[in-house]
Amino acid sequence: MKRAIRIVGMGFLLVAGFNQAAGTWRGTKAEPVLVAAQQQQMATEVKIDNFSFSPATLEIKAGSTVTWTNADDIPHTVVSNDKVFKSKVLDTDQKFSFTFDKPGTYPYFCSLHPKMTAKVVVQ
Amino acid sequence: MVQHTCSAALLYEGKEFAMKNETRDEIKFDHNGDGIDRRGFLKCMAWAGTGTLCVMKGGVLNSYSLSALSKLDPAAAMGELSFVQISDSHMGFNKPANPDVIGTLKAAITKINALPGNPEFLLHTGDITHLAKPEEFDNVQQILKEAKVKEAFYVPGEHDVASDEGKEYLERYGKGTKGAGWHSFDKNGVHFIGLVNVVDLKAGGLGTLGHEQLEWLEDDLKGKKSSTPIVVFAHIPLWSVYPQWGWGTEDSAQALSYLKKFGSVTVLNGHIHQTMQKIEGNVTFHTAASTAFPQPAPGTADSPGPMKVPAEQLRSALGITSVNFVRGQKALAVVDSNLSE
Repeated sequence: MKRAIRIVGMGFLLVAGFNQAAGTWRGTKAEPVLVAAQQQQMATEVKIDNFSFSPATLEIKAGSTVTWTNADDIPHTVVSNDKVFKSKVLDTDQKFSFTFDKPGTYPYFCSLHPKMTAKVVVQ
Repeated sequence: MVQHTCSAALLYEGKEFAMKNETRDEIKFDHNGDGIDRRGFLKCMAWAGTGTLCVMKGGVLNSYSLSALSKLDPAAAMGELSFVQISDSHMGFNKPANPDVIGTLKAAITKINALPGNPEFLLHTGDITHLAKPEEFDNVQQILKEAKVKEAFYVPGEHDVASDEGKEYLERYGKGTKGAGWHSFDKNGVHFIGLVNVVDLKAGGLGTLGHEQLEWLEDDLKGKKSSTPIVVFAHIPLWSVYPQWGWGTEDSAQALSYLKKFGSVTVLNGHIHQTMQKIEGNVTFHTAASTAFPQPAPGTADSPGPMKVPAEQLRSALGITSVNFVRGQKALAVVDSNLSE
């Protein structure tokens, strides 16, 4: 349920942005067809804030790119438990992206603050 | 005159913490039944000074916060051995919690240099830098040159090793050390051991010493007389301060088991950016304040991120630690003291 709401929300933003680029601002309602099309290569965000990853569990489709952004005053890293991906140290506002091609569950943590754990579930 | 203060803040685990009568007023509101008065704890934070002077005297390891150096009785600063501990300089940090970490580190050095009787050496318990950049290490090196101590000893914090697996750190401070930078040395009959618990950390875990280092430690202590006073220093606390925030070390129990036979063991840590003390059997644990920015008391905030305090209070929330050792009594005890009126 939560995920469905987020997808619709994203769809709305994308449509609104598109119209803006075309020079006419219209608060267009998201079309279901467009939402389905966007879902495949939807960029997905994880925020690092208050020493935690949010969302803690992120469900995505294979082929999606996930971008982590550090919103803390303290540096963090994004490191896969199984060594699938590893960011450099991210200072405040720095980002790290990784594209998940294969389905599976990818647990990860911050190597500076290992109590910070989360996972990406790729379908 | 030296007074004991604020140890009351350490009662939250309900274990044996040194609580001094004169600090009982620090616990006025114990809403969570954990022995911590949040307000009282913050009050304790305020006296943390800019470091600690450690003086071993009559078999007692005294540590003095240098927040009010002018109040220090010169006789109290004299012993068989004295040294200072500073920690968590986070060179390179520039966020609102402290936009001037150079200035506060310099202030700590000024206080060290004003100590009566020169401390023998300086211990830095890690997070020397914020991002392990060469220029950050350079800045610290430049500032510490001004400290009137004969030597300085280091252990890394996670910030010193995260960017490059500790390469830059080891190039500068790794000489004569093993593995990720662990080492030991003797001063005036006291055996010092610097441990590294910030590398190869596992998901969901705490600080880690690792098998190789534990073996080295066991070997290092072999043949040492049980009367030898031991001082262990490492970045992340070797006691369970607040595991929920990662403030502890997974395999510290094994390290401490090797130290059981010794009559006097002192453990000095950093990482949590506030002073704490705990006595457990023959072991006294201390954490030092940061020279850069304060962090909240355990569980008093959503996360252990930098704590913003009013600018005029910042310097009083930062610290150095000094230790003074005098041989004489059988057991070594540590008294955590500050210099406030």
